Amino acid sequence: MRRSSFTGPVVLIAIGVVLLIHSLSPEFRIGDLLSNYWPYVLIGWGVLEFLEVCFRFFTNRPLPPNGVSGLGWFGVVVICLVGFSAFQIRQASPWVRWAGFERGIRAFGEEREFSVSPIQQAVGKSPRLIIENFRGDAKIAGTEGEEMTVGGHKVISAFDQGELARANDETPVTVAVQGNTVVLRCNQGKARSRVHLSTNLDISVPKGASVEVTGTTGDFDISGLSGSVDISSENSGIRLQDINGAVKIDTRRSDLIRCNGVKGTVDLRGHGTDIELTKIAGQVTISGSYTGSLALRDLAKAVRVENSRTEFNVQGVPGEIRIDRGSVNMQNVLGPTRLTTRVNDVSLSNFTDGLELSVDKGDVELNPGRLPLGRMIVHARSGNIELAIPQTAAFAMNAITDRGEVSNDFGDVLKTSSEGRGARLSGTVGIGPEVRLATERGTITIRKASGSATTTVGADVGSGGKYRPVESRR
Amino acid sequence: MNNRRALFVQAIRGPLLLITLGILFAIHQAGGLAIYRSWPLLIIVVGVMKLIERTSAPSSGVYPPPPAPGGPIR
Repeated sequence: MRRSSFTGPVVLIAIGVVLLIHSLSPEFRIGDLLSNYWPYVLIGWGVLEFLEVCFRFFTNRPLPPNGVSGLGWFGVVVICLVGFSAFQIRQASPWVRWAGFERGIRAFGEEREFSVSPIQQAVGKSPRLIIENFRGDAKIAGTEGEEMTVGGHKVISAFDQGELARANDETPVTVAVQGNTVVLRCNQGKARSRVHLSTNLDISVPKGASVEVTGTTGDFDISGLSGSVDISSENSGIRLQDINGAVKIDTRRSDLIRCNGVKGTVDLRGHGTDIELTKIAGQVTISGSYTGSLALRDLAKAVRVENSRTEFNVQGVPGEIRIDRGSVNMQNVLGPTRLTTRVNDVSLSNFTDGLELSVDKGDVELNPGRLPLGRMIVHARSGNIELAIPQTAAFAMNAITDRGEVSNDFGDVLKTSSEGRGARLSGTVGIGPEVRLATERGTITIRKASGSATTTVGADVGSGGKYRPVESRR
Repeated sequence: MNNRRALFVQAIRGPLLLITLGILFAIHQAGGLAIYRSWPLLIIVVGVMKLIERTSAPSSGVYPPPPAPGGPIR
Protein backbone atom coordinates (compact mmCIF):
# COMPACT_ATOMS: atom_id res chain seq x y z
CA MET A 1 0.00 0.00 0.00
CA ARG A 2 1.40 3.32 -1.01
CA ARG A 3 0.49 6.25 1.13
CA SER A 4 1.89 9.70 0.84
CA SER A 5 3.76 10.29 4.05
CA PHE A 6 6.37 12.66 5.23
CA THR A 7 8.36 10.05 7.12
CA GLY A 8 10.02 8.72 3.97
CA PRO A 9 11.30 12.09 2.74
CA VAL A 10 12.49 13.10 6.21
CA VAL A 11 14.46 9.86 6.57
CA LEU A 12 15.95 10.45 3.13
CA ILE A 13 16.98 13.98 4.07
CA ALA A 14 18.53 12.74 7.34
CA ILE A 15 20.58 10.08 5.55
CA GLY A 16 21.69 12.70 3.02
CA VAL A 17 22.79 15.11 5.74
CA VAL A 18 24.78 12.44 7.60
CA LEU A 19 26.54 11.30 4.42
CA LEU A 20 27.25 14.90 3.44
CA ILE A 21 28.88 15.65 6.79
CA HIS A 22 30.86 12.45 6.41
CA SER A 23 32.17 13.41 2.99
CA LEU A 24 32.94 17.00 4.01
CA SER A 25 34.84 16.14 7.18
CA PRO A 26 36.55 12.77 7.12
CA GLU A 27 37.30 12.80 10.85
CA PHE A 28 33.57 12.53 11.44
CA ARG A 29 33.34 8.84 12.23
CA ILE A 30 30.04 7.49 11.08
CA GLY A 31 30.56 3.95 12.35
CA ASP A 32 31.30 5.09 15.89
CA LEU A 33 28.39 7.46 15.82
CA LEU A 34 25.91 4.90 14.57
CA SER A 35 27.10 2.13 16.87
CA ASN A 36 26.56 4.45 19.82
CA TYR A 37 23.46 6.31 18.79
CA TRP A 38 21.41 3.90 16.69
CA PRO A 39 18.66 3.56 19.34
CA TYR A 40 17.93 7.23 18.77
CA VAL A 41 17.33 6.42 15.11
CA LEU A 42 14.56 4.07 16.27
CA ILE A 43 13.18 6.71 18.59
CA GLY A 44 13.33 9.35 15.87
CA TRP A 45 11.60 7.07 13.42
CA GLY A 46 8.89 6.24 15.95
CA VAL A 47 8.36 9.92 16.73
CA LEU A 48 8.04 10.74 13.03
CA GLU A 49 5.49 8.01 12.46
CA PHE A 50 3.67 9.10 15.58
CA LEU A 51 3.52 12.70 14.43
CA GLU A 52 2.31 11.56 11.05
CA VAL A 53 -0.55 9.55 12.52
CA CYS A 54 -1.50 12.48 14.74
CA PHE A 55 -1.33 14.84 11.81
CA ARG A 56 -3.58 12.62 9.74
CA PHE A 57 -6.00 12.19 12.61
CA PHE A 58 -6.42 15.87 13.28
CA THR A 59 -6.65 16.88 9.63
CA ASN A 60 -9.26 14.21 8.99
CA ARG A 61 -7.21 12.32 6.46
CA PRO A 62 -7.47 8.55 6.08
CA LEU A 63 -5.51 6.70 8.76
CA PRO A 64 -3.19 3.83 7.92
CA PRO A 65 -4.22 0.53 9.48
CA ASN A 66 -0.82 0.25 11.13
CA GLY A 67 1.55 3.01 12.11
CA VAL A 68 4.54 0.90 11.13
CA SER A 69 4.13 -1.51 8.26
CA GLY A 70 5.39 -5.08 8.08
CA LEU A 71 8.33 -3.99 5.98
CA GLY A 72 8.99 -1.27 8.51
CA TRP A 73 9.21 -3.79 11.34
CA PHE A 74 11.59 -5.85 9.26
CA GLY A 75 13.77 -2.75 8.96
CA VAL A 76 13.56 -2.23 12.72
CA VAL A 77 14.73 -5.78 13.38
CA VAL A 78 17.65 -5.32 10.96
CA ILE A 79 18.65 -2.04 12.61
CA CYS A 80 18.46 -3.62 16.07
CA LEU A 81 20.57 -6.62 15.07
CA VAL A 82 23.22 -4.62 13.22
CA GLY A 83 23.37 -1.77 15.71
CA PHE A 84 23.37 -4.01 18.74
CA SER A 85 26.11 -6.28 17.46
CA ALA A 86 28.19 -3.30 16.31
CA PHE A 87 27.86 -1.79 19.76
CA GLN A 88 28.66 -5.07 21.55
CA ILE A 89 31.69 -5.76 19.37
CA ARG A 90 33.04 -2.32 20.10
CA GLN A 91 32.41 -3.00 23.74
CA ALA A 92 34.35 -6.23 23.35
CA SER A 93 31.78 -8.07 25.34
CA PRO A 94 32.45 -11.71 26.09
CA TRP A 95 29.45 -13.05 24.20
CA VAL A 96 31.48 -12.77 21.00
CA ARG A 97 33.77 -15.40 22.45
CA TRP A 98 30.91 -17.76 23.13
CA ALA A 99 30.28 -18.05 19.46
CA GLY A 100 33.71 -19.64 18.96
CA PHE A 101 33.70 -23.00 17.25
CA GLU A 102 36.00 -24.47 19.89
CA ARG A 103 33.01 -24.91 22.10
CA GLY A 104 31.77 -27.41 19.59
CA ILE A 105 34.90 -29.51 19.96
CA ARG A 106 34.89 -29.07 23.70
CA ALA A 107 31.34 -30.24 23.90
CA PHE A 108 31.59 -33.20 21.57
CA GLY A 109 35.25 -34.19 21.52
CA GLU A 110 37.76 -35.41 24.04
CA GLU A 111 40.00 -33.36 26.22
CA ARG A 112 43.24 -34.37 27.82
CA GLU A 113 46.12 -32.80 29.65
CA PHE A 114 49.72 -33.36 28.63
CA SER A 115 52.65 -32.08 30.59
CA VAL A 116 55.24 -29.95 28.87
CA SER A 117 58.68 -31.55 29.01
CA PRO A 118 60.69 -29.29 31.31
CA ILE A 119 63.35 -27.06 29.81
CA GLN A 120 66.32 -25.65 31.62
CA GLN A 121 68.58 -23.26 29.79
CA ALA A 122 71.33 -20.81 30.64
CA VAL A 123 70.32 -17.42 29.28
CA GLY A 124 72.57 -14.84 30.97
CA LYS A 125 71.73 -12.21 33.54
CA SER A 126 69.37 -9.98 31.59
CA PRO A 127 67.94 -11.77 28.59
CA ARG A 128 65.20 -10.52 26.37
CA LEU A 129 62.47 -13.13 26.42
CA ILE A 130 60.17 -13.19 23.43
CA ILE A 131 56.98 -15.26 23.48
CA GLU A 132 55.17 -15.55 20.21
CA ASN A 133 51.69 -16.51 19.20
CA PHE A 134 50.32 -18.81 21.73
CA ARG A 135 47.09 -19.61 23.40
CA GLY A 136 47.11 -20.38 27.07
CA ASP A 137 48.11 -18.91 30.37
CA ALA A 138 51.65 -18.00 31.30
CA LYS A 139 53.16 -17.33 34.65
CA ILE A 140 56.54 -15.65 34.51
CA ALA A 141 58.55 -15.03 37.63
CA GLY A 142 61.98 -13.47 38.08
CA THR A 143 64.54 -15.47 40.04
CA GLU A 144 68.18 -15.19 41.03
CA GLY A 145 70.80 -16.71 38.76
CA GLU A 146 71.23 -16.94 35.02
CA GLU A 147 69.02 -19.85 34.22
CA MET A 148 65.61 -20.01 32.70
CA THR A 149 63.22 -22.88 33.36
CA VAL A 150 60.01 -23.70 31.57
CA GLY A 151 57.39 -26.17 32.68
CA GLY A 152 53.67 -26.51 32.53
CA HIS A 153 50.98 -28.46 30.77
CA LYS A 154 48.94 -28.47 27.61
CA VAL A 155 45.23 -28.94 27.44
CA ILE A 156 44.23 -30.43 24.11
CA SER A 157 40.75 -31.14 22.85
CA ALA A 158 40.14 -33.13 19.70
CA PHE A 159 37.61 -35.55 18.30
CA ASP A 160 39.53 -38.74 19.08
CA GLN A 161 42.50 -40.11 21.02
CA GLY A 162 44.78 -40.45 18.00
CA GLU A 163 44.32 -36.85 17.14
CA LEU A 164 45.06 -35.90 20.73
CA ALA A 165 48.39 -37.72 20.79
CA ARG A 166 49.40 -36.41 17.38
CA ALA A 167 48.53 -32.86 18.38
CA ASN A 168 50.70 -33.23 21.45
CA ASP A 169 53.68 -34.44 19.38
CA GLU A 170 53.25 -31.70 16.83
CA THR A 171 53.36 -28.89 19.34
CA PRO A 172 56.48 -29.07 21.49
CA VAL A 173 57.46 -26.10 23.57
CA THR A 174 60.88 -24.92 22.39
CA VAL A 175 63.36 -22.32 23.53
CA ALA A 176 65.86 -20.80 21.09
CA VAL A 177 68.69 -18.68 22.43
CA GLN A 178 70.44 -16.26 20.15
CA GLY A 179 72.84 -13.95 21.95
CA ASN A 180 70.77 -12.03 24.44
CA THR A 181 67.47 -12.92 22.84
CA VAL A 182 65.48 -15.92 23.98
CA VAL A 183 62.53 -16.97 21.86
CA LEU A 184 59.96 -19.27 23.40
CA ARG A 185 57.61 -21.00 21.00
CA CYS A 186 54.69 -23.27 21.66
CA ASN A 187 54.34 -24.25 17.99
CA GLN A 188 50.60 -24.33 18.31
CA GLY A 189 50.22 -23.32 14.69
CA LYS A 190 51.56 -26.72 13.66
CA ALA A 191 48.58 -28.53 15.06
CA ARG A 192 45.60 -29.12 12.83
CA SER A 193 42.82 -26.66 12.89
CA ARG A 194 40.32 -29.17 14.24
CA VAL A 195 42.23 -29.36 17.46
CA HIS A 196 41.82 -26.96 20.28
CA LEU A 197 44.90 -26.51 22.30
CA SER A 198 46.05 -24.30 25.06
CA THR A 199 49.47 -24.34 26.63
CA ASN A 200 49.81 -23.23 30.21
CA LEU A 201 53.36 -22.30 31.02
CA ASP A 202 55.22 -21.82 34.24
CA ILE A 203 58.37 -19.89 33.42
CA SER A 204 61.10 -18.62 35.65
CA VAL A 205 63.71 -16.26 34.25
CA PRO A 206 66.66 -14.35 35.68
CA LYS A 207 65.17 -11.28 37.25
CA GLY A 208 67.09 -8.93 34.98
CA ALA A 209 65.00 -10.18 32.07
CA SER A 210 62.61 -8.19 29.95
CA VAL A 211 59.58 -9.83 28.39
CA GLU A 212 57.96 -9.29 25.04
CA VAL A 213 54.75 -11.08 24.15
CA THR A 214 52.89 -10.88 20.87
CA GLY A 215 49.64 -12.19 19.50
CA THR A 216 48.42 -14.36 22.30
CA THR A 217 45.20 -15.37 23.94
CA GLY A 218 45.38 -16.19 27.59
CA ASP A 219 46.24 -14.80 30.95
CA PHE A 220 49.60 -13.50 32.06
CA ASP A 221 50.96 -13.31 35.51
CA ILE A 222 54.38 -11.67 35.52
CA SER A 223 56.29 -10.77 38.65
CA GLY A 224 59.66 -9.66 39.93
CA LEU A 225 61.46 -8.47 36.81
CA SER A 226 63.81 -5.52 36.51
CA GLY A 227 63.43 -5.30 32.75
CA SER A 228 60.51 -4.03 30.72
CA VAL A 229 57.30 -5.84 29.85
CA ASP A 230 55.66 -5.42 26.48
CA ILE A 231 52.48 -7.38 25.82
CA SER A 232 50.46 -7.24 22.68
CA SER A 233 47.57 -9.62 22.91
CA GLU A 234 44.29 -10.66 21.37
CA ASN A 235 42.61 -11.47 24.62
CA SER A 236 44.30 -11.49 27.96
CA GLY A 237 43.88 -10.96 31.61
CA ILE A 238 47.14 -9.48 32.78
CA ARG A 239 48.63 -9.25 36.26
CA LEU A 240 51.97 -7.60 36.80
CA GLN A 241 53.74 -7.36 40.11
CA ASP A 242 57.01 -5.58 40.92
CA ILE A 243 58.33 -4.66 37.50
CA ASN A 244 61.21 -2.20 37.38
CA GLY A 245 61.17 -1.42 33.70
CA ALA A 246 58.56 0.16 31.47
CA VAL A 247 55.25 -1.62 30.92
CA LYS A 248 53.41 -1.50 27.65
CA ILE A 249 50.19 -3.43 27.15
CA ASP A 250 48.09 -3.51 24.03
CA THR A 251 45.05 -5.75 24.17
CA ARG A 252 42.20 -6.27 21.78
CA ARG A 253 40.19 -7.77 24.57
CA SER A 254 40.89 -8.15 28.22
CA ASP A 255 38.93 -8.81 31.36
CA LEU A 256 41.43 -7.34 33.77
CA ILE A 257 44.74 -5.53 33.66
CA ARG A 258 46.31 -5.20 37.07
CA CYS A 259 49.70 -3.65 37.71
CA ASN A 260 51.09 -3.40 41.18
CA GLY A 261 54.50 -1.88 41.86
CA VAL A 262 55.93 -0.69 38.55
CA LYS A 263 58.97 1.60 38.60
CA GLY A 264 58.87 2.54 34.93
CA THR A 265 56.15 4.06 32.80
CA VAL A 266 52.88 2.24 32.22
CA ASP A 267 51.25 2.51 28.84
CA LEU A 268 47.93 0.75 28.22
CA ARG A 269 46.11 0.93 24.95
CA GLY A 270 43.47 -1.00 23.11
CA HIS A 271 40.25 -2.47 24.38
CA GLY A 272 39.44 -4.15 27.61
CA THR A 273 37.37 -4.17 30.74
CA ASP A 274 38.79 -3.46 34.18
CA ILE A 275 42.04 -1.74 35.00
CA GLU A 276 43.75 -1.60 38.37
CA LEU A 277 47.00 0.26 38.81
CA THR A 278 48.68 0.55 42.18
CA LYS A 279 52.06 1.99 43.19
CA ILE A 280 53.33 3.14 39.83
CA ALA A 281 56.44 5.32 39.91
CA GLY A 282 56.46 6.29 36.23
CA GLN A 283 54.02 8.12 34.01
CA VAL A 284 50.74 6.38 33.25
CA THR A 285 48.98 6.59 29.91
CA ILE A 286 45.73 4.79 29.21
CA SER A 287 44.09 5.20 25.86
CA GLY A 288 41.48 3.18 24.10
CA SER A 289 38.23 1.73 25.18
CA TYR A 290 38.03 0.07 28.56
CA THR A 291 34.47 -0.60 29.52
CA GLY A 292 34.78 -1.79 33.08
CA SER A 293 35.96 -0.04 36.17
CA LEU A 294 39.20 1.83 36.52
CA ALA A 295 41.02 2.01 39.83
CA LEU A 296 44.22 4.01 40.23
CA ARG A 297 46.05 4.25 43.52
CA ASP A 298 49.33 5.72 44.56
CA LEU A 299 50.70 6.95 41.24
CA ALA A 300 53.73 9.19 41.56
CA LYS A 301 53.79 10.85 38.17
CA ALA A 302 51.40 12.31 35.65
CA VAL A 303 48.43 10.25 34.51
CA ARG A 304 46.68 10.65 31.19
CA VAL A 305 43.54 8.68 30.44
CA GLU A 306 41.71 8.84 27.15
CA ASN A 307 38.93 6.36 27.43
CA SER A 308 35.88 6.23 25.23
CA ARG A 309 33.62 7.98 27.72
CA THR A 310 35.98 9.68 30.09
CA GLU A 311 39.19 11.59 29.60
CA PHE A 312 41.38 13.08 32.23
CA ASN A 313 44.83 14.35 33.11
CA VAL A 314 46.25 14.70 36.57
CA GLN A 315 49.81 15.28 37.67
CA GLY A 316 49.89 12.57 40.29
CA VAL A 317 47.62 10.44 42.44
CA PRO A 318 48.81 10.11 46.03
CA GLY A 319 45.24 9.10 46.84
CA GLU A 320 42.81 7.27 44.64
CA ILE A 321 40.87 7.56 41.43
CA ARG A 322 37.95 5.25 40.80
CA ILE A 323 35.80 5.21 37.73
CA ASP A 324 32.88 2.82 37.71
CA ARG A 325 29.79 2.63 35.61
CA GLY A 326 28.13 5.95 36.29
CA SER A 327 30.59 7.56 38.64
CA VAL A 328 33.99 9.19 38.69
CA ASN A 329 35.63 9.57 42.08
CA MET A 330 38.91 11.28 42.68
CA GLN A 331 40.41 11.70 46.08
CA ASN A 332 43.70 13.33 46.90
CA VAL A 333 45.06 14.03 43.44
CA LEU A 334 47.67 16.52 42.29
CA GLY A 335 46.48 19.01 39.72
CA PRO A 336 46.02 20.78 37.54
CA THR A 337 43.25 18.31 36.79
CA ARG A 338 41.43 18.23 33.51
CA LEU A 339 38.42 15.92 33.27
CA THR A 340 35.87 15.40 30.53
CA THR A 341 33.20 12.78 30.91
CA ARG A 342 29.89 11.90 29.36
CA VAL A 343 27.36 10.35 31.67
CA ASN A 344 28.82 10.19 35.12
CA ASP A 345 28.42 11.61 38.57
CA VAL A 346 31.68 13.24 39.46
CA SER A 347 33.05 13.58 42.95
CA LEU A 348 36.42 15.20 43.51
CA SER A 349 37.93 15.87 46.85
CA ASN A 350 41.25 17.04 48.11
CA PHE A 351 42.77 18.19 44.84
CA THR A 352 45.37 20.85 44.15
CA ASP A 353 46.21 23.42 41.52
CA GLY A 354 43.09 23.98 39.60
CA LEU A 355 40.50 22.03 37.75
CA GLU A 356 38.91 22.02 34.37
CA LEU A 357 35.86 19.79 34.35
CA SER A 358 33.22 19.15 31.77
CA VAL A 359 30.32 16.72 32.27
CA ASP A 360 27.55 15.91 29.85
CA LYS A 361 25.16 14.49 32.31
CA GLY A 362 25.73 13.93 35.96
CA ASP A 363 26.05 15.64 39.30
CA VAL A 364 29.31 17.24 40.30
CA GLU A 365 30.61 17.39 43.85
CA LEU A 366 33.79 19.30 44.52
CA ASN A 367 35.65 19.58 47.74
CA PRO A 368 39.08 21.03 46.99
CA GLY A 369 40.01 20.88 50.65
CA ARG A 370 43.38 22.50 50.23
CA LEU A 371 44.47 26.12 50.17
CA PRO A 372 45.16 28.15 48.19
CA LEU A 373 42.38 27.30 45.79
CA GLY A 374 43.29 26.71 42.19
CA ARG A 375 41.45 28.06 39.22
CA MET A 376 38.30 26.03 38.69
CA ILE A 377 36.28 25.89 35.52
CA VAL A 378 33.34 23.52 35.65
CA HIS A 379 30.72 22.99 33.03
CA ALA A 380 27.83 20.55 33.19
CA ARG A 381 25.23 20.17 30.50
CA SER A 382 22.78 18.65 32.87
CA GLY A 383 23.45 18.12 36.53
CA ASN A 384 23.81 19.76 39.91
CA ILE A 385 27.06 21.29 41.00
CA GLU A 386 28.04 21.37 44.63
CA LEU A 387 31.22 23.07 45.72
CA ALA A 388 32.59 23.12 49.25
CA ILE A 389 35.05 25.94 49.79
CA PRO A 390 37.33 26.18 52.83
CA GLN A 391 36.22 29.12 54.98
CA THR A 392 39.43 31.06 54.66
CA ALA A 393 39.76 30.67 50.92
CA ALA A 394 40.04 33.58 48.50
CA PHE A 395 38.34 33.31 45.13
CA ALA A 396 36.41 35.12 42.44
CA MET A 397 33.11 33.31 41.97
CA ASN A 398 31.05 33.27 38.85
CA ALA A 399 28.35 30.60 38.84
CA ILE A 400 25.52 30.36 36.34
CA THR A 401 22.68 27.92 35.95
CA ASP A 402 20.44 28.28 32.93
CA ARG A 403 17.62 26.40 34.57
CA GLY A 404 17.72 25.94 38.29
CA GLU A 405 18.60 27.59 41.53
CA VAL A 406 21.67 28.77 43.29
CA SER A 407 22.24 28.41 46.98
CA ASN A 408 25.09 29.97 48.83
CA ASP A 409 26.61 29.72 52.30
CA PHE A 410 28.83 32.75 51.99
CA GLY A 411 26.03 35.25 52.44
CA ASP A 412 26.03 38.70 50.92
CA VAL A 413 29.62 38.63 49.78
CA LEU A 414 28.33 36.74 46.77
CA LYS A 415 25.43 38.26 44.89
CA THR A 416 22.59 36.11 43.69
CA SER A 417 20.47 37.27 40.81
CA SER A 418 17.88 35.35 38.88
CA GLU A 419 17.99 35.30 35.13
CA GLY A 420 15.03 33.88 33.25
CA ARG A 421 14.54 30.39 34.56
CA GLY A 422 18.05 30.24 35.91
CA ALA A 423 20.21 32.10 38.35
CA ARG A 424 23.63 33.62 38.70
CA LEU A 425 25.96 33.97 41.63
CA SER A 426 28.96 36.21 41.48
CA GLY A 427 31.37 38.04 43.74
CA THR A 428 34.85 37.91 45.12
CA VAL A 429 36.28 36.90 48.45
CA GLY A 430 39.79 38.26 48.91
CA ILE A 431 42.11 38.11 45.96
CA GLY A 432 41.93 34.66 44.56
CA PRO A 433 41.66 32.58 41.42
CA GLU A 434 38.67 32.36 39.17
CA VAL A 435 35.97 29.84 40.08
CA ARG A 436 33.60 29.49 37.18
CA LEU A 437 30.71 27.07 37.47
CA ALA A 438 28.10 26.61 34.79
CA THR A 439 25.29 24.15 34.37
CA GLU A 440 22.62 24.25 31.74
CA ARG A 441 20.18 22.51 33.97
CA GLY A 442 20.59 21.94 37.68
CA THR A 443 21.17 23.62 40.99
CA ILE A 444 24.45 25.10 42.12
CA THR A 445 25.30 24.89 45.79
CA ILE A 446 28.22 26.74 47.30
CA ARG A 447 28.94 25.85 50.87
CA LYS A 448 31.63 26.41 53.43
CA ALA A 449 33.70 23.37 54.12
CA SER A 450 34.34 22.99 57.82
CA GLY A 451 38.06 23.69 58.24
CA SER A 452 39.64 20.61 59.75
CA ALA A 453 37.51 18.01 58.07
CA THR A 454 38.21 19.13 54.56
CA THR A 455 41.71 17.85 54.18
CA THR A 456 40.87 14.40 55.35
CA VAL A 457 37.24 13.75 54.60
CA GLY A 458 37.26 12.62 51.07
CA ALA A 459 34.68 11.47 48.65
CA ASP A 460 32.50 10.30 51.50
CA VAL A 461 30.97 13.75 51.82
CA GLY A 462 27.99 12.44 50.00
CA SER A 463 27.16 10.28 47.10
CA GLY A 464 23.88 11.47 45.84
CA GLY A 465 22.32 12.94 48.97
CA LYS A 466 21.56 16.60 48.74
CA TYR A 467 23.38 18.85 51.13
CA ARG A 468 21.34 20.95 53.47
CA PRO A 469 23.23 23.68 55.30
CA VAL A 470 23.24 23.03 59.04
CA GLU A 471 23.78 26.26 60.88
CA SER A 472 24.14 24.74 64.33
CA ARG A 473 27.28 22.91 63.34
CA ARG A 474 29.46 25.95 63.81
CA MET B 1 -16.42 9.09 14.75
CA ASN B 2 -15.79 6.66 17.56
CA ASN B 3 -14.58 4.17 15.02
CA ARG B 4 -12.07 6.70 13.78
CA ARG B 5 -10.67 7.04 17.29
CA ALA B 6 -10.19 3.30 17.48
CA LEU B 7 -8.35 3.41 14.17
CA PHE B 8 -6.14 6.18 15.51
CA VAL B 9 -5.22 4.18 18.63
CA GLN B 10 -4.47 1.21 16.45
CA ALA B 11 -2.31 3.23 14.08
CA ILE B 12 -0.39 4.78 16.92
CA ARG B 13 0.55 1.45 18.44
CA GLY B 14 3.44 0.75 16.07
CA PRO B 15 5.18 4.09 16.49
CA LEU B 16 4.85 4.01 20.28
CA LEU B 17 6.28 0.50 20.41
CA LEU B 18 9.14 1.66 18.20
CA ILE B 19 9.87 4.59 20.50
CA THR B 20 9.80 2.33 23.56
CA LEU B 21 12.17 -0.09 21.89
CA GLY B 22 14.53 2.74 21.00
CA ILE B 23 14.46 4.08 24.55
CA LEU B 24 15.17 0.64 26.04
CA PHE B 25 18.18 0.19 23.77
CA ALA B 26 19.37 3.70 24.51
CA ILE B 27 19.18 2.96 28.25
CA HIS B 28 21.08 -0.26 27.66
CA GLN B 29 23.88 1.53 25.85
CA ALA B 30 24.09 4.35 28.34
CA GLY B 31 24.95 1.72 30.91
CA GLY B 32 21.61 1.56 32.65
CA LEU B 33 19.18 -1.33 32.71
CA ALA B 34 20.26 -3.98 30.23
CA ILE B 35 17.91 -4.81 27.37
CA TYR B 36 17.71 -8.48 28.30
CA ARG B 37 16.29 -7.40 31.63
CA SER B 38 14.04 -4.61 30.46
CA TRP B 39 12.38 -6.32 27.47
CA PRO B 40 9.17 -7.28 29.35
CA LEU B 41 8.32 -3.58 29.30
CA LEU B 42 7.65 -3.99 25.57
CA ILE B 43 4.99 -6.58 26.34
CA ILE B 44 3.50 -4.28 28.94
CA VAL B 45 3.34 -1.45 26.41
CA VAL B 46 1.64 -3.71 23.88
CA GLY B 47 -0.84 -4.80 26.54
CA VAL B 48 -1.61 -1.24 27.57
CA MET B 49 -2.12 -0.22 23.96
CA LYS B 50 -4.51 -3.12 23.45
CA LEU B 51 -6.45 -2.09 26.53
CA ILE B 52 -6.77 1.48 25.32
CA GLU B 53 -7.81 0.16 21.94
CA ARG B 54 -10.61 -1.85 23.55
CA THR B 55 -11.91 1.00 25.64
CA SER B 56 -12.00 3.35 22.67
CA ALA B 57 -13.53 0.82 20.29
CA PRO B 58 -17.20 1.10 19.40
CA SER B 59 -19.20 -0.93 21.86
CA SER B 60 -20.95 -3.02 19.25
CA GLY B 61 -19.35 -5.32 16.79
CA VAL B 62 -16.08 -5.80 18.59
CA TYR B 63 -17.07 -8.34 21.18
CA PRO B 64 -19.07 -11.32 20.00
CA PRO B 65 -22.45 -11.50 21.66
CA PRO B 66 -22.49 -13.72 24.74
CA PRO B 67 -23.63 -17.26 24.05
CA ALA B 68 -27.31 -17.66 24.41
CA PRO B 69 -28.34 -19.51 27.53
CA GLY B 70 -29.49 -22.99 26.99
CA GLY B 71 -27.12 -23.73 24.14
CA PRO B 72 -25.77 -27.14 23.34
CA ILE B 73 -23.72 -28.62 26.14
CA ARG B 74 -20.58 -30.39 25.08
